[in-house]
Amino acid sequence: MGRKQLPLVPAGLIYAGVFVAPLLFFFVISFWSVKSRILRPDFTFKNYVATWAQYWDSMANTMAVALMIAAVTTLLAFGFAYAVRFKAGKLEGPLLFLALITLFGGYLVKIYAWKSILGRDGILNQALVELGLVDQPVDALLYNTNAVIITLTYFLLPFAILPIYGNLRAINPATIEAARDLGAKRWAVMRDVILPQCEKGIVIAFTLAFLISAGDYVTPRFVGGGAAMMGHFIELQFSLGFNWPQGSAMSFSAMLLSLAIVLALRAAFKRSLRP
Amino acid sequence: MKAQQVSDLAWRGLIFLVSGFMALPLLLVVLFSFNQSALTSLPLTGLTLDWYRRLFAKDAFWPALENSLIVGFAAALLAIVTGTLAALALSRFQPRQAGILINILSIPMMMPALIIGVSLMSYFVRFLDVPLGLWTVVLGHVVIAQPFVVLILYARLAHFDWSAVDSARDLGASPLQAFFTVTLPIIQPTIVGAGLIALSISLDDFVIAFFTIGAGNTLPTLVWGLVRTSLDPTINAIATLLLALSIGSTILALRLSRYRG
Repeated sequence: MGRKQLPLVPAGLIYAGVFVAPLLFFFVISFWSVKSRILRPDFTFKNYVATWAQYWDSMANTMAVALMIAAVTTLLAFGFAYAVRFKAGKLEGPLLFLALITLFGGYLVKIYAWKSILGRDGILNQALVELGLVDQPVDALLYNTNAVIITLTYFLLPFAILPIYGNLRAINPATIEAARDLGAKRWAVMRDVILPQCEKGIVIAFTLAFLISAGDYVTPRFVGGGAAMMGHFIELQFSLGFNWPQGSAMSFSAMLLSLAIVLALRAAFKRSLRP
Repeated sequence: MKAQQVSDLAWRGLIFLVSGFMALPLLLVVLFSFNQSALTSLPLTGLTLDWYRRLFAKDAFWPALENSLIVGFAAALLAIVTGTLAALALSRFQPRQAGILINILSIPMMMPALIIGVSLMSYFVRFLDVPLGLWTVVLGHVVIAQPFVVLILYARLAHFDWSAVDSARDLGASPLQAFFTVTLPIIQPTIVGAGLIALSISLDDFVIAFFTIGAGNTLPTLVWGLVRTSLDPTINAIATLLLALSIGSTILALRLSRYRG
């Protein structure tokens, strides 16, 4: 290694020692077995078999919910980023600032906020009652998949807005006007000028939203009322079940499936943008 | 109305709705933390600081705050050292190579915290056989904060004027001297900004801390305990404090680093 690479060493050590090595060890554990609550080195595939036999429906449900969240988040983020970039005028700075400060506004705080908004005594129910839309507070707002989708979309939105906005900022509005002057329709401008420029940001936003929501367990437990999400079942293997090998096999199965879905979608998206 | 006006109106409506969606829930939490009634409903029944008083009287609060601050500052310091050094090296690479390395370094950002948390826990407990504690939380937080520091510093160094450093070297400064007298003073605001972002990431993390702390609490794990066991309005107060801490450091970071997306 030359001198040029030397400053990479500390970051590399952290990355290898506290990220890659733990993941590798965790992967090895997925082939181990558990006997009377004791972890035993082994080489068995039964954890993977059990994962797909027992949890295939939760797995499918997790992927469906994560896809929904990623799609809604990316769409909203693109719309917002586009509007802030080209339609907000003087408000461009302050609106971007809003997205930036809510970025780290507290993961648990955000979930808790939605729990209280959607709850029986929450302000949404209060508003519905006062508007006369319902006679008494409804319980149906909380503890279901919709609540999970709303809460995770809320949490992920700022993370999705920033990479897309970053790409949009590089587009000169004059380019758009030129395309319009030359007779391009609105949709053609969007497809041939704007979308190709923010392909990278859209892919990052979608991937991030999909992977994070596929692996989340706090939101489903808090507002989802035991909505069948993989993260929830994985966490149980560590907190209650004390079956680490099973939890590990479930984690790697879910990650692999998520990765395959993301890569397939990315390829399809890229192909659709080709002229 | 012309089509142009309709579309402008629609875009404004979208901005209005999405920014309301982003801001209102957090504003409500802050508002209810000062509300006399224990119920989270409007109208407010009167302003009070009671929930804060009760929070500060809780035995578990102060150790959790202390732990959060210790972990946050330690993780931020470590991450700015490793991240800045990496960004300095990467800025001298070809952009393509640097891009690939940055993507690899950024994988932890895309990874669900649950997977990072449980893999770290099993690694520390079973493979290294070391006791869990604040330092294991610190290491976990460095892993997720480091890529942010690298990204921010790399973006700053992309339009860094290396000629000043070259002049210092031509005038006889050693590489280290040139770094400490020329490079560091110029990028220092960005480093502090990146450090504050790292601090807010650490203050905000619940999942990794939960799995790697062993015994004791950070603020988020304390909140988790409160939310699970009761409908305690002090949660609004602690949530507001967490919000103030992380938003405060983010705002400071943005001013210092001028990082925009």
